[in-house]
Amino acid sequence: MNKFLAVVKREYVQRVRSRMFIVATVLGPLMLVLFTVVPAYIAGIKTGGPTRLAIVDQSGKLSERLREVIVNERDEEDAERERVAAQALNESSQERMEQTGKSLRQSYDVQQVAVEGTIEETRRRLDERIRRDELDGYLVLPADILQSGEAEYHARNTGDVFTRGQIKNRLTTAVRDQRMAERNILPSVMREVNSPVNMRTTKAGEVGGKEDSGQGFYLVFAVGFIIYLTILMYGQVILGAVIEEKETRIAEILFSSVRAFPLMMGKLIGVSLVALTQFLIWGVVFGAFALYGTGMLAAQGMPVSIPRIAPSLILYFLLFFLLGYFIYSTIYALVGAMVTTAQEGGQLALPIILLLVTGFYLAFPVIRSPNSSFAFWVSMFPFFSPITMLVRIVTQTPPFWQIALSLFIGFGTVVLLMWLAARIYRVGMLMYGKRASIPEVLRWVRQA
Amino acid sequence: MSEQKVTLLLDGVTKRFDEFVAVNELSLAVRAGRIFGLIGPNGAGKTTTIRMIVNITAPDSGRVELFGQPMNRTLQDRIGYLPEERGLYKKMKVGEQLRFFGELKNLKGRAADEAIDRWLARVKLTDWKQKKASELSKGMQQKIQFIAAVMHEPDLIILDEPFSGLDPVNVGLLKEIVLELKAEGKTIIFSTHQMEVAERICDDICLINRSRKVLEGSIREVKRSFGRNSVALRIEGGDGVLDDKSLVTKIERHSDEIEVLLAEGASAQDLLRRLLTAGAALTKFELVEPSLNDIFIAQVGGSE
Repeated sequence: MNKFLAVVKREYVQRVRSRMFIVATVLGPLMLVLFTVVPAYIAGIKTGGPTRLAIVDQSGKLSERLREVIVNERDEEDAERERVAAQALNESSQERMEQTGKSLRQSYDVQQVAVEGTIEETRRRLDERIRRDELDGYLVLPADILQSGEAEYHARNTGDVFTRGQIKNRLTTAVRDQRMAERNILPSVMREVNSPVNMRTTKAGEVGGKEDSGQGFYLVFAVGFIIYLTILMYGQVILGAVIEEKETRIAEILFSSVRAFPLMMGKLIGVSLVALTQFLIWGVVFGAFALYGTGMLAAQGMPVSIPRIAPSLILYFLLFFLLGYFIYSTIYALVGAMVTTAQEGGQLALPIILLLVTGFYLAFPVIRSPNSSFAFWVSMFPFFSPITMLVRIVTQTPPFWQIALSLFIGFGTVVLLMWLAARIYRVGMLMYGKRASIPEVLRWVRQA
Repeated sequence: MSEQKVTLLLDGVTKRFDEFVAVNELSLAVRAGRIFGLIGPNGAGKTTTIRMIVNITAPDSGRVELFGQPMNRTLQDRIGYLPEERGLYKKMKVGEQLRFFGELKNLKGRAADEAIDRWLARVKLTDWKQKKASELSKGMQQKIQFIAAVMHEPDLIILDEPFSGLDPVNVGLLKEIVLELKAEGKTIIFSTHQMEVAERICDDICLINRSRKVLEGSIREVKRSFGRNSVALRIEGGDGVLDDKSLVTKIERHSDEIEVLLAEGASAQDLLRRLLTAGAALTKFELVEPSLNDIFIAQVGGSE
């Protein structure tokens, strides 16, 4: 036990004090922001001037309305999306969102073109103008567009799905408005008819009928994502920690003092404590900012609602997060036990991520029928249970014994895998110099 | 064999790796307070033998007894082991590193700090205590590894090629320390294939080759049993004596001396007496002992 603690202490202290840890702790959140904001920003950049569009209106009814819709209005989908997004955000970020929205919205130059000669001649003329770069694209609206709902779009860049989609949406709006106008339906009436239903969702059997807006479900995904992130960050660290003594050739000295199992466990726990420390720092800083932010808003008389989560749920989140983290980092330790250098380990570690992603996808069938026998079994399988059991807990909480069993199986698997890793490590070390093949590893497990 | 206490006993120990027999029916006894040389060519089974002694692996059959008890985990703390395959944590400071190795042997707190300071001073590395291992030269690292093996005052110290890669000054320093440890009553197992070193430092040796024991005993016994019974001479006159086939079977003439191989049953005393009575003038008369190196080559080379 003393020796185990000595290993834990060394792993923890050496890593937490390292420059890498401090840099990662400070830069981690920054990187996260960069990785989420920057790609969205870059994707939203549209270089060049406004899109020059010509409309050939054979119906003679639509061009003015369409021009107005394209130039001035955003289409309804845009508006709806932004309204939903805005609800979830406070004021300043709402502003920011609108700015981003504006930059994402495209500007158009629209001109009407009359049909001269046959429609084919007109097309040819417009094609020629596109070639001369006087125009980016044109719409041909046939005379019976209101009945058939068919139109043509010709453009230089048909690969620009965003512009294409926007034009299609706006054309649809214009056509619909025109149809309504011809039937003497006022737009205001139409808006009223179209207004959506707001559905309050409540979990059956819950006292007080608290509204469930799906927070629990999003939290499951958040937990899954955090497991994923932690494994991405710390899996390699565990791998490295296990390989360290092989690469520095300290293994034999250690083995003359401590058994392989406490050594392996010590490494796993030590590195895990490092990860937890990092998360704790981030959590506290984030929590402080959040409290400060909500406090400020509350002081300004803004209604602030903090999502309410049951304490038992928080406990489960924590337990299953730990389980998920340990299950996957244990596989990294196992890989580390088999190989002699970190590079080899990196290649072998790839399938681990695949397993984790599979767990994510299994969440969907489980959501739909959380009490099926399928859901039961995947929530007992240790590599998937951290996500699938959590999904079951927030959707339709299974009996306590199932949760307990899932946890028991999971943590049992961790210990078993670590024991296996220790064996492989020990035998591998005694015959070092080469990477073990799977049959060799199996033989090692049997002997020694 | 003397009546001294036996620290370590191996009795018919065998270890296999799949089909390969690394150690075959090995029996040996290491007496307390002596330096025991475990010698043999590369791949003879020295390291595997040592690993069974320090309880890294268990023998497939046979018995390992340490301090009169069957091998067990608690005995590990009373062993200090410097493996041939050795290293340090590169990014860890020397002091912390030694503390960690001490903790693994249940040496903690102030006792550990004192031991570390004392040993660093002894190997003249006190100034390097706060430096990272990667900043140390290879020789310095080796001295740190040596400290890690001896700082917890083990009763049995196992040193596998402790001097390889060291400069003569540091070899001298470590040798001095090893002899001090012996004087303190520690038992030392010294594994090497450098025969000159073993010859100078060991009291007893065990030569193993191809997983089997070839020779065992004190250096003196081994040499005597292996003695070729030859005498190096520098003489004038008395030539007739050397022609007596009942006394001398073979004469080798070197530049300024001759080496004669004594006949079966004849002793050096007989030869000396005969030479003196024959009136020969002797400037050198020396019993030639085989060096450990000679024995090693004769035993190991012959089996190839």
